[in-house]
Amino acid sequence: MSAAEKVLEIHRVSKAFPGVQALDHVDFELGTRQIHALMGENGAGKSTLIKILTGVHQQDTGTLKLRGGEVRFANPRAATVAGISAVHQERNLISRFSIGENIMLERLPAQRGFVDYRKVHAEARRWLDMLGLDLDPRMAVDRLSVAQIQLVEIAKALALEADILLMDEPTASITPYETDHLFALLRQLRDRGVALVFVSHKLEEVFELCDQITILRDGRIACPTRPLKGLNRGDIVRFMIGRDEQGARLGARRTDRDATPALALRGVASPLGHQDLTFDLYKGEILGLYGLVGSGRTELAKVLLGVHPPTAGEVQVEGETVRIKDAATALRRHRIGYVSEDRKAEGLILIHGVGRNIAMTIWSRLTGVLGLLRPGVEADTVMPHIDRLDIRTPSLGQTAMNLSGGNQQKVSVAKWLAAEVSILIIDEPTVGIDVRTKAYLHELIAELANEGRAILLISSDMPEMIALADRILIMQNFRLVGEVANDHDYGRMSEAIMAQIHRGEDEAVAAQ
Amino acid sequence: MASPPGSLVIKSILRQDWLGLLLVVVLAIAGLALSQPNFLSSFNIYVLLLGFSLSVLIALAQMVIIAIGQMNLSVGAIGGLAAISFAGLMEVVGLPVPLAALAGLAIGILCGCLNGWITHTTGLSAFIITLATLSIFKGLNLGITEAQPFYDIAPAVKAFGNARMGPIPVMLVAPVIAIIAVWVLMNRTVLGRQMLAVGGNPNAAELSGISIRRAVVAAHAISGLLAALAGMLAVARLQLGQPTIGDDWLIISFAAPVIGGAVLAGGHVSVIGTCLGVVIVTLINNALVLYGIDPFFVQLLLGALILAAVGINRYHEVQEQARRFA
Repeated sequence: MSAAEKVLEIHRVSKAFPGVQALDHVDFELGTRQIHALMGENGAGKSTLIKILTGVHQQDTGTLKLRGGEVRFANPRAATVAGISAVHQERNLISRFSIGENIMLERLPAQRGFVDYRKVHAEARRWLDMLGLDLDPRMAVDRLSVAQIQLVEIAKALALEADILLMDEPTASITPYETDHLFALLRQLRDRGVALVFVSHKLEEVFELCDQITILRDGRIACPTRPLKGLNRGDIVRFMIGRDEQGARLGARRTDRDATPALALRGVASPLGHQDLTFDLYKGEILGLYGLVGSGRTELAKVLLGVHPPTAGEVQVEGETVRIKDAATALRRHRIGYVSEDRKAEGLILIHGVGRNIAMTIWSRLTGVLGLLRPGVEADTVMPHIDRLDIRTPSLGQTAMNLSGGNQQKVSVAKWLAAEVSILIIDEPTVGIDVRTKAYLHELIAELANEGRAILLISSDMPEMIALADRILIMQNFRLVGEVANDHDYGRMSEAIMAQIHRGEDEAVAAQ
Repeated sequence: MASPPGSLVIKSILRQDWLGLLLVVVLAIAGLALSQPNFLSSFNIYVLLLGFSLSVLIALAQMVIIAIGQMNLSVGAIGGLAAISFAGLMEVVGLPVPLAALAGLAIGILCGCLNGWITHTTGLSAFIITLATLSIFKGLNLGITEAQPFYDIAPAVKAFGNARMGPIPVMLVAPVIAIIAVWVLMNRTVLGRQMLAVGGNPNAAELSGISIRRAVVAAHAISGLLAALAGMLAVARLQLGQPTIGDDWLIISFAAPVIGGAVLAGGHVSVIGTCLGVVIVTLINNALVLYGIDPFFVQLLLGALILAAVGINRYHEVQEQARRFA
């Protein structure tokens, strides 16, 4: 590797969101001819850092230096002009547009104001070829698979021919074959002088690809920028989670696995693509469901809630075969609740008050004379839950949008406690939530299980999973590929889970 | 959170977003009363209340749809169809008044259900669906009437339309009942809560076990009912089954709820605010007449008022955001 020159320097950058200090005096350096790993747990601040570098957010304090000169990106366009492009974690394609239009969107070739489509598709073709993607650039993006969409995002970022390329979990939903192709290309780019930042949860990939590393934890630098050489997996995990082991203190639960399962699936298939799902979930148990983004975990929750009812197999609640046709049936007849991973889009009604948000699941139970709601009844019903979960709100009328992320999450849990559900599906409970509330939520989830509820925990935060779950199911490509009995030892468990996922990947490749 | 109940009531009144509107209304009434001696005359108050009666029903018909985060462009067309059906059933078929009135209301509910059902089943925007049904309902209206009014209105209906107790028109009874019923619906019933929840965030509402179809169809049915009531009141007032009833309702239907603080994206409406919005529009109309200004300027002023109302709402929103991120 030839000598690197500093191209980007970040000095003491801080950024706060309501209730969360996302970045706290972070330093970071990026050189040309380097692939730089940016690591940390969920919520450590990686994505926020990437978004500041690409002008999506602006830092509160601190400086950015690009090639020695101080810069501040007011918007994404400014960052693009300065030669920075990015693959974000969220998908940013326009689904009705063709692949080619999406790739070339920032600089559509035009002649006298008319788009030159032949050129659009020819240019796009070049970038697709580079990634080994055999797709017609004239095809609309909404016909692509998750993996193909991710690759088109990457092609779009490459097409800007930026000299700084930031990639936030680019491999989250693509196959090992496609990953190999991508890595070969990234190495070529590095050797041509491009500076690359690579964000990933997969340690193997980082070791395979990267030269430098910076590790964030809870918005602070846990390991300042340094060469990757000399670090091993254990070191990185320690930097990331700040301790060797976490969660044994939550105490083990004793679950009676001879009883009738609270929820049982037998060979369930769904219109979303799930195949042959079979597992049991017992009362008083936390069953983990681990998998990469796009593996079908959240979608399984939607199947169990009746949003997309199963197409084959059996779902049993308390030993009885049931047909759940909608969320109302799931809640009222089978007492299944769902804490969504996306509390703003699916969990809360942001413009409504805290009280209403919690009582939403039980209004029909609160009515008195003539089916009317008495003014005070809602408050009386939700107050115990607000006290129990220690929700910090000035009043019950306070709108949900004015609460911190942690308190919002508590509200989305509280509404299911109010509904007295016996089976609770909890999806990514601590994304974007500060450390203290996170620990509190972990204790709460454990407590809910200890009280006899059956909990299906979906999380891609491995330390969280290993701290909380009693057993961990591993899902990949909408199938269950393995099960691990959790002994709460982080090193051993993470290895075991990753091994299952790799085996699943290999099988998927073999099947192709 | 603990505070003595008395101050709590005062606080909750002070927190209402319609307080500013009430102030505007009081000031406008004081100003008009002082500058125009005719304003407080018994006849002028009667005219004001007549205008209010009709407009408030139209506004509420739109407000329940705004609550679920949709729009209903066919409020006027439903009102018109119910109006000519009511008049026609009496004149042509010879139905007694109560039966004709019930039939009119049923037609309103039916039209509303159709709007709600199509919107929910197709998943298309209510804007386009009600634009289409507007045309359908209006077409039915014109097909039935051939654009000619029904003149033969039952004497009882005419009497109801003319009856007054001093400055108060008897027909005010209908909107007053409607206002109370819609207030109870929105603030005290599960259905009303569910409608607002669906308007506030349909995904969250659905995952919380609320039936979106029920909320949407119910809201449109109620909207149709209120529009039909307004249409028949217009027949009583005009003493005529006029096919053009409803043609000019669109602007007032949106203006009053928006002035009243409704969030057009859904989830938040105010019955009292909407009523005050209607009062403000009625007062402006009246002021133009009293000052002898060309009534054709009403439209212009109404448009400006809508812009001002949404502008003020947006300003508060931006300030709120700035405060939160400070």
